[in-house]
Amino acid sequence: MSEGPRAADGVPEELVPATVSELARLLAANSSGPRRPVFPVGGRTALGFGFGVDPASLELTTSRLDRVIDYPARDMTVTVEAGCRVSELQNQLKPEGQRLPVDVPLAHRATLGGAIASNAAGPRRFGLGTLRDYVIGIGCVTVEGRSFKAGGRVVKNVAGYDLCKLMVGSGGTLAVVTEVTLKLKPLPEASAIGFACFDRGETVQDLLGDLATSRARPVAIELLGPKASRQVAAESRHDLPTGPLLLGIGLEGSRDEVQWQVEVIDREMRQGGAGGVAWFRDAQTAKVWSALTDYQVGVEAPVTIRAALLPSRTVEFVVAAIDAGVAVQAHAGNGVVHGHLPDDTLDAAAAESVIHPLRELAADGGGQVIVERCEAGWVDQLEMWGPRRDDWSLMEALKREFDPGGLLSPGRGVDGALGHAAAAGEGTS
Amino acid sequence: MAAPPPSPAARSTVAVELLERFRGLLGSDAVLASDDELMVYECDGYVVEKKAPDVVLLPTSTAQVSEIVKACNEFDVPFVPRGAGTSLAGGCLPVGGGVMIALTRMKRILEVNLQDRYAVVEPGLVNLNLTRHLAGSGYHYAPDPSSQGACTIGGNVATNSGGPHTLKYGVTVNHVLGLEVVMPDGRVVELGGPTEGLAGYDLVGLFVGSEGTFGICTQVTVRLTRDPDAYRTMLGIFETVSDATHAISQIIAAGIVPAALEMMDQGIVEAVEAAYGFGFPLDAAAVLLIEVDGLEVAVDAEAERIIALCNEQGAREVRRAESEEQRALLWKCRKQAFGAIGRLSPSYCTQDGVVPRTKLPEILEFIIESGERHGIRIVNVFHAGDGNIHPILLFDERDEDQVARVFRASDEILGRCIELGGSVTGEHGIGVEKLSFMDRLFTPDDLLVMASVRRAFNPLGTCSPGKVLPTAGACGMEEIQRSHPGKQAAS
Repeated sequence: MSEGPRAADGVPEELVPATVSELARLLAANSSGPRRPVFPVGGRTALGFGFGVDPASLELTTSRLDRVIDYPARDMTVTVEAGCRVSELQNQLKPEGQRLPVDVPLAHRATLGGAIASNAAGPRRFGLGTLRDYVIGIGCVTVEGRSFKAGGRVVKNVAGYDLCKLMVGSGGTLAVVTEVTLKLKPLPEASAIGFACFDRGETVQDLLGDLATSRARPVAIELLGPKASRQVAAESRHDLPTGPLLLGIGLEGSRDEVQWQVEVIDREMRQGGAGGVAWFRDAQTAKVWSALTDYQVGVEAPVTIRAALLPSRTVEFVVAAIDAGVAVQAHAGNGVVHGHLPDDTLDAAAAESVIHPLRELAADGGGQVIVERCEAGWVDQLEMWGPRRDDWSLMEALKREFDPGGLLSPGRGVDGALGHAAAAGEGTS
Repeated sequence: MAAPPPSPAARSTVAVELLERFRGLLGSDAVLASDDELMVYECDGYVVEKKAPDVVLLPTSTAQVSEIVKACNEFDVPFVPRGAGTSLAGGCLPVGGGVMIALTRMKRILEVNLQDRYAVVEPGLVNLNLTRHLAGSGYHYAPDPSSQGACTIGGNVATNSGGPHTLKYGVTVNHVLGLEVVMPDGRVVELGGPTEGLAGYDLVGLFVGSEGTFGICTQVTVRLTRDPDAYRTMLGIFETVSDATHAISQIIAAGIVPAALEMMDQGIVEAVEAAYGFGFPLDAAAVLLIEVDGLEVAVDAEAERIIALCNEQGAREVRRAESEEQRALLWKCRKQAFGAIGRLSPSYCTQDGVVPRTKLPEILEFIIESGERHGIRIVNVFHAGDGNIHPILLFDERDEDQVARVFRASDEILGRCIELGGSVTGEHGIGVEKLSFMDRLFTPDDLLVMASVRRAFNPLGTCSPGKVLPTAGACGMEEIQRSHPGKQAAS
């Protein structure tokens, strides 16, 4: 058994199991013994997400669980332990001309288990989907040390409940993901991203409306404010057009497909009011994709918010966020927006005064704004997930079934949100 | 984890008082309780097990469904939702009797939003009617089960249905954004919605495929998909089944993801040809129906690569659909193949197994061998690109010995799928038919965790009892036989 530093009471503060069975034994021992809260950790790229970590927690690190268990390339599936780094997995798939087509922030550090827990995604979610579309089998251990699996190793399978879907985005609050089987896709032959600037939201809105019937089929539709544009330009080491709103359209496919679509999109962007379009092709796109993917976690901001909106309501939200001083990136085709509040947001009250009107705007179109990360100590003063939704009670029931003692990442998920909403309710009543 | 919910099999009769309540709630024409009316509902597409419900209700609104469920709880009667009854694993068999809530009158399209790529529909809407409604808009609803002319969207949600084009576009769960659900206690809850990326657990993803055991879905928000810019449809003709299955493996391994890749063997081609007269060669051992779609600029090159791969595997000929009419007829032959089977046999049992795609040649050989050994004729029509096989076992249900041999051959084939690293169902579900396989696919701990998930939604087990998970200590089949001796058609 491997151990981290020991605390005074003889219980290791960090658990670093080398095998899944060791991980299960450690959790069972904790569950029947000291019953410390447990905080599963992968590549440490999303630790700041959510409601904060109970300081009494044991850290359970999956980094040694990094074996590729089975890679039948001709079946286009791979089974891998959850501690495997995402970029390491991609490197192993590349010689076979395959990939997991999901953009994971900080992929050289992030583990698959962490990506699954946080439902990591990026610009290409528009054309290629998210992890829920690729996880076809999963192995987990409950906080009591019970190992279970669901799904399987074949691409089509409806035997039993689809716990893969439940684990994607569960934030390490239901069980520790230890193993995963993924559906893969062929690497595209070519790729391209075109950027163009626009002065007015209305122009972008009209152009996005027309794109819905374009003969081209983009894999990404990105809309960035000036701060985000500057950072993406710096990170990707490319000059991007500068202006109030930067629209980026990503394309992938065969050489012929990409070339033809570049011409179509270039024409449509110019007709839609763009002064000029800057295109990045093939090898040049790698750094642009990663800069666009990493932006959501790559900024040290006092508060980072995420909005879920109808795509058609995204432009107006982005414009309002920019006006409020928020550095903003939207996956505009999906209605998913990442926003970093400015450095001069001095306290939680100032943050709330920025977030509240945006939350109202989102709610008006059936959307939601959550605080994804914030300064330590602000959690209790911010409306983290906003108003209670009626499916939260079901989520809470699931949490109770998986973790009746509330030992796994306590307060990090829906239990935290409910506590928060209740406290907010008391505050106003 | 706590003990599983008590078995509901003992409850079965519906009190007169409850029937009166239902008539008051829904009107008499929406309450079916006479034997001849109920007979229609005694089974789904899995005809081997039959059990009529005590009453069938035909609600027209979410509020009515909620009231029905509350009344069932009050009278401690189990209930089960039903769509068109096209499922093939007994998913809507009313195990333990009780109330069947048939959603076929809730069939409206409530909203279509092309800009945000979604539609909101009621669960009783027939799958094909949504696609027809969208015709000409440039968008469609991608999951296209072969039964799409009859099956409902709500039923598709229950079983997480597939279809030929799911090879490229994904199955039902990849196209459902939100659900309105009447919970087993009668509450109405919204899960997800047209906006993606809401905080919290993916309850929509979990609910899809839960075979009616988590609650009754009363509205579905589905993702709409752009129509392909262009497609090419081909028919590959092969001298042996082995050549055809090797061609499938080669196409997938080459990194080509066709929109659809379907196989029909000689037995099924014979029936389909007699029914629709497409012009299939009757002496070929197998045909592949292959469709690629994408941009006009790219589809020809992809089609050429596929034709070359088929030829390398010894295809006799690869034909292209020359016109839209020919393409439509080809797809009609494929999707209505099951309807043509009546020409071959009085009864048939459609199996649904999955193997890793490279194992297709192996499983097909095994199916042929198993059919010969048990003296059962088996024909094949299936979603080859996904490794999702559908051996169809032909029999006469009046012959008990044949029926027993059908069961043995089915069992063997599905067991072989598990040994090859696959699954016992790719799209039809566990229902009641495959309960006995669950402990071969999953450990007791896996099943305990699944039971705990069901308990979070359905704590009393009154909603669709006896489905998906084997009850502790006895498999579900035994439970049906025990509670309803002599009601089965075939054994």
